[in-house]
Amino acid sequence: MKIAKRHIWLAEASRCMGCFGCEAACKMEHDLPAEPRTIRVIQVGPRGRGDDLAMSFQPTSCCHCDQPACVLACPAGAMQKRADGIVFSDLEKCIGCQTCAVACPFGVPQLNTATGKIAKCDGCRTRVDKGLWPACTLKCPSGALMFGTPTRVVQEIRSQEALKVAKTFAQEEREPV
Amino acid sequence: MLDRNPMKRSPGSRQEQDQQVRTVCQECTVNCGLSAGIKDGRIVDVQGDESHPVSRGRLCARGTAFVQGVTLPERLAAPAIRKKRGAALQPLDDWKSGLDALAEQLRQVKEKNGPDSLLIGCDPEGGLDFQLGALRFASLWGTSQVFQPAGRQAEPWPDGLDSPTAPCSDWLRSGCLFLVEADLAVTHPVAFSWVQEAQRRGAQIVAADARFTATLAKADHALQMKPGQGNLLGLAIAKLVLAEGGLDSKAAEAGFKDAAGWQASFEKMSLDGAEAVLGLSLEKLQHLSRLLAKSGPVTVITGRGLASLPHHRIWLTLATAMGWLGRRGGGWYPVEAGAPSLPVHVDASGAKTEAEGQQGAAPTLAQVKEQGKVKAVISSGNSLSDYLSPFGGLARQLELVVHFGSFPNATWEQASFSFPATLWAERDGLVFSDDRSVQWGGKIVEPPAGCRSGLDFWLELARRFGWEAHFPWVTEDGRADHGAFYAWLLAQNPLTAGLQLDQLRSLEPGARVFWPVAENALPDKIAPHPAPATLASVPEAPAAADYPLALLTAQSGCRSGDASHFWPWTRNLVREDAVQIHPETALLLGIENGDEVLVDTPRGALPARASLSRTVPPSVIASFRGVNGLPALVHKLDQLPDEARNLLKKSTP
Repeated sequence: MKIAKRHIWLAEASRCMGCFGCEAACKMEHDLPAEPRTIRVIQVGPRGRGDDLAMSFQPTSCCHCDQPACVLACPAGAMQKRADGIVFSDLEKCIGCQTCAVACPFGVPQLNTATGKIAKCDGCRTRVDKGLWPACTLKCPSGALMFGTPTRVVQEIRSQEALKVAKTFAQEEREPV
Repeated sequence: MLDRNPMKRSPGSRQEQDQQVRTVCQECTVNCGLSAGIKDGRIVDVQGDESHPVSRGRLCARGTAFVQGVTLPERLAAPAIRKKRGAALQPLDDWKSGLDALAEQLRQVKEKNGPDSLLIGCDPEGGLDFQLGALRFASLWGTSQVFQPAGRQAEPWPDGLDSPTAPCSDWLRSGCLFLVEADLAVTHPVAFSWVQEAQRRGAQIVAADARFTATLAKADHALQMKPGQGNLLGLAIAKLVLAEGGLDSKAAEAGFKDAAGWQASFEKMSLDGAEAVLGLSLEKLQHLSRLLAKSGPVTVITGRGLASLPHHRIWLTLATAMGWLGRRGGGWYPVEAGAPSLPVHVDASGAKTEAEGQQGAAPTLAQVKEQGKVKAVISSGNSLSDYLSPFGGLARQLELVVHFGSFPNATWEQASFSFPATLWAERDGLVFSDDRSVQWGGKIVEPPAGCRSGLDFWLELARRFGWEAHFPWVTEDGRADHGAFYAWLLAQNPLTAGLQLDQLRSLEPGARVFWPVAENALPDKIAPHPAPATLASVPEAPAAADYPLALLTAQSGCRSGDASHFWPWTRNLVREDAVQIHPETALLLGIENGDEVLVDTPRGALPARASLSRTVPPSVIASFRGVNGLPALVHKLDQLPDEARNLLKKSTP
């Protein structure tokens, strides 16, 4: 039996500049109306006072849980988890009852009022099946979104963190700012 | 330098397509490479062009979503006329009858009120060919009242554009990137990705702006300053760097015509009052100038608003004097100022048009409004309602409004004539990017049957005034020949004279062409920008007491041109009528998030919806509608302006 290759999708929020590139890419790829937003960039802040302000952006989407509550709850058998980890809703079977939306602890599944069916991130499964990256990840200008096998993504994060440390050392060698 | 091999991306499309068209995105002035999939004459997919050296396959929200504008059901497809005010626009069979009637009405307006009764507003979506055609038409007509977004004059081209700049990829070599009133993270996300990449490689990112923008949020050093004073900040830095001996005197000698005289002018300049004007303490200014002096090479990235303000050339001067210019990773990158000065008035035969030379300096939009002569407006996109007249004033006196655009926007609602326009994806054109590269933007699909380009519009109109000799770029079927027009235009400027359209059209993937083409096209030495006597700007207008807040233009990452206001996906992201108010100011005025408010200015009032945010300082409010720098007041609908004024006065020491 062939074991499906698992992929992970990772959002590195410190890189996100809040440009909505991922949201637009997802909407165009899946032909979605203004709502629902299956991937959503949340602006946090600015918080703080006077000169001391901070603001960050958090891209959020489906977690594709290991034990997805939505899949267990779906009465129509539409919500499924694939062997490669992707959790998706089969729109042929979906009856739009929104039980999955209630079951999901993160409130991920939403009703697409244009179709009367559930809309949620399907991991761009048809793209992934062709060996392509998901639309949001591919178009993200800042590289905040990453996609790949767990080994590759973890390796990427490690090398980025190592670079941050190296950068700090390099700056310490210069005069303090 | 540390290097690493990032994860390999797997790009591509899953859509079935007959054809792939490679072109450049024209939603902003980064001009990313774009590859569109076509099936049955329609765009079915848009991907970033992996071979493009600047965008490397990435696209921002606007570059991805522009297709929604192309295929929008509400899109205008036939010229229309409104015979009586208040009546509905009636579609016309063809452009010919519309243009005949328009020419007749324009002629009457001119006879009755003179040439300065016409004002032309250009929107980036109308295209460079609309703007250039407008300038040429206006010159033949005898006016210089041609404006572009934020009310900037379409001419003269901003100062300093005769200087070289470098592509974003060079920023990886920068010791520091200094962004002044440039919110690249929102307006040019793909260029900002290079800022982030440079930051990861050790460059210091310093950003100064009036609002706490996304760019400031990502910077290592964020400076919130008074709005619109970016160029004065440049003067203050130059003064402090000179005072501390941080100048690269060899670079200044080599680059300036009169280096000693320039230095002397700064010795005389006083920094008295600079703190109040800039809203930054002297200590902070000193810290900043020391940081810049020792972090070279520095690239200064300035926002487009600074180009139309005095002292813009200080940035070129500073970059030269510090020895940043000419070093990899150093220099000046003025945003949205990548086109060379295009001498569009020059006649086809090489002579000047008759009208040119008789005109004085072009008036500002405020001066034009004050004179009150304007009776007719030709507006591309939503210019009339966006920046020409968001506060009434101009609109009330108009007899004739002409709309050249693709969507039924607010300008269209007022229009006596409407002519449907092509979008950039439907017309060929030359594309000038911020980094001085010139690319050929070939069309992706054919336009809808009734839509024409900006050059078509001016060419047809000029023909009706007997000026066809001045618009000779016509194909055999009578349409505008964009290739011939741009080829002629490039030949008129020595900085672009060596560029061949055929060469631009057939560039290999990854190859780019920059202007100036000829070496030595730029002078060895520039005239440096001298210091004024003091940094204190003009005395505060008497309006300041009545309008204690400053109104700024906010920008949104999901909006660019007129089309973006109609993109379905943006509808729930940003409210167009939002006005950002600092929570403390809102508390004083009793305004809560989502309240209906009135933004009051000396030029009139505009209803808006309150959006409480610390992105603006307490003395500033920001709106997405295009007015920048007006004194303003904000109050609830059921509150008198004086009541709000008193509440604000109490809080100010």
